[in-house]
Amino acid sequence: MSDEEDILRKITEKFGEGVLEARVLGRRRISILVPPDAYKNVVKYVAQDLGLEFLSCLSGVDYGDSLEVVAHLGFSTQILIKTRVPKDNPVIDSITDILPAANLYEREAHDLLGIIFRGHPNLGRVFLPEDWPKGIYPLRKDYAPEHPKPLRGGEVG
Amino acid sequence: MSFEISIGPQHPIHVEPLMLRLSVEGELIVDVDVDVSYIHRGIEKALEARPYIQGLYLVERICGICNAAHSLCYCLNVEQLLGKEAPPRAKYLRIVVEELSRIHSHLLWLGHYFHTLGFETLFMYFWRDRERIMDMLELITGNRVTTSYNTIGGVRRDLTPEAEQRLRRTLDYIEERMRYYEKVIDSEPTILARTQGVGILKPSDAVRLGVVGPHLRASGVKHDVRLDDPYSGHDEIPFNVITWDTCDCYARVKVRIREVYESVNIIRYALDHMPSGDYRLKIPPFFKAPPGESLSRVEAPRGELVHYSISDGGDRPYRYKVRTPTLANLLSVVEMLRSRDGYEVYIADVPAILGGIDPCICCSARVMVTDEARRRRTIMTLEDVIKISRERGAKRR
Repeated sequence: MSDEEDILRKITEKFGEGVLEARVLGRRRISILVPPDAYKNVVKYVAQDLGLEFLSCLSGVDYGDSLEVVAHLGFSTQILIKTRVPKDNPVIDSITDILPAANLYEREAHDLLGIIFRGHPNLGRVFLPEDWPKGIYPLRKDYAPEHPKPLRGGEVG
Repeated sequence: MSFEISIGPQHPIHVEPLMLRLSVEGELIVDVDVDVSYIHRGIEKALEARPYIQGLYLVERICGICNAAHSLCYCLNVEQLLGKEAPPRAKYLRIVVEELSRIHSHLLWLGHYFHTLGFETLFMYFWRDRERIMDMLELITGNRVTTSYNTIGGVRRDLTPEAEQRLRRTLDYIEERMRYYEKVIDSEPTILARTQGVGILKPSDAVRLGVVGPHLRASGVKHDVRLDDPYSGHDEIPFNVITWDTCDCYARVKVRIREVYESVNIIRYALDHMPSGDYRLKIPPFFKAPPGESLSRVEAPRGELVHYSISDGGDRPYRYKVRTPTLANLLSVVEMLRSRDGYEVYIADVPAILGGIDPCICCSARVMVTDEARRRRTIMTLEDVIKISRERGAKRR
């Protein structure tokens, strides 16, 4: 049994029904989809019990009516822990207390996609200019880059 | 009683816009804010609007210095989506250019680092030798800075025997010079005094804060994507992962110097064992990628680079996420700059520490780190400022 399958087996055994989808994407690449309420526990288990404590990235993806959060963990084998939250209430637990490295990545996802990370110590604006209109998230699909709002000088909000 | 000193956004320490707000008590730094929110370019969004082949030229421009790493990471990502793999010769040629750009980046950093420490002669030496590497990049790829060498399915040009000969001579020269510089650095009391014991980052903190690249290895953690997650035939090439366990700015200098030797050896090995055959696959310029997702990681000169893409079956990415090394390293600046029990940081150490992570603001772009423990700083929007100024103006009248 390969390392990837071994890790997958451990996670599915531990969380059972809690894992919605688990597959090996390729060599050293694992993807698991979990419900939002299990997300933090799965991250904690992978980081602390499986020892993959290195968070290399955290991405957000817009899937139309839901937003996906993807946490990338691991030095060598990378586990993508995914969870989906509804777009009208995009709230998810922050993992900064388990992995402090998530701090900036969660702020980035908050800034560009409007995902709210519950329990984040300082969920402020990161990437966008301070006068960027509120409630407009450039990486969401409904934001059309052909018609950008003026960044400076124009009427704001 | 503490004072606040602002360094930046334009400052000789670093040519890119970066703002440091230091709270100082006397000469001692007690608190730090780092603000890099000055250049957001929206490249991830722009990639969603471009066919894959056009995106290749855009990702190279995320960072001029790491352009070879970005284009390699992008090509690996798209190849993975397509289920294709570059031919063996292309993999080795990619390694040659990747390692050349690592040498050039490390020389640039070393020169710039000693410049910030006030050692101008060494700056001139390093940058003079870096020119030799730039010449080699131009000879092999056709371009001096933005190399445009990697392409989806391989590389754009083959290596000629003449170029190989010149490259080998340059490598000998660089290796000899680096041995000399290492001797200079180790015997120069000023450099040692300014770097040893300065900017300590413990291994456990480095992993906790997600630090990557030479900065992580200078904290004694043996992680290198080339070793842990080989992506372009690195598993066939013997090389050492350089670590240093003093965890200070001196370690960061040493790791980068030693990595230049390793890069030189990797290029020599790749040249000696260069496979024959095609250097690229024939892939039409415009294509549709099958639905799926792919994650590629490359050890860029500054550290681990992550590209993550999702395809919906179209001719352009549905989502393209880039995580650059400096973004991962920024949190550690706050950690290193703040004085705590038994560890004192002075204003004079700021250039040495900030320079130590090899920051590239244009690629990480746009981040505001505030001290979470104290939560003093509030960021006001333009609206708030206008509102407050109007209220105050009205009162005065």
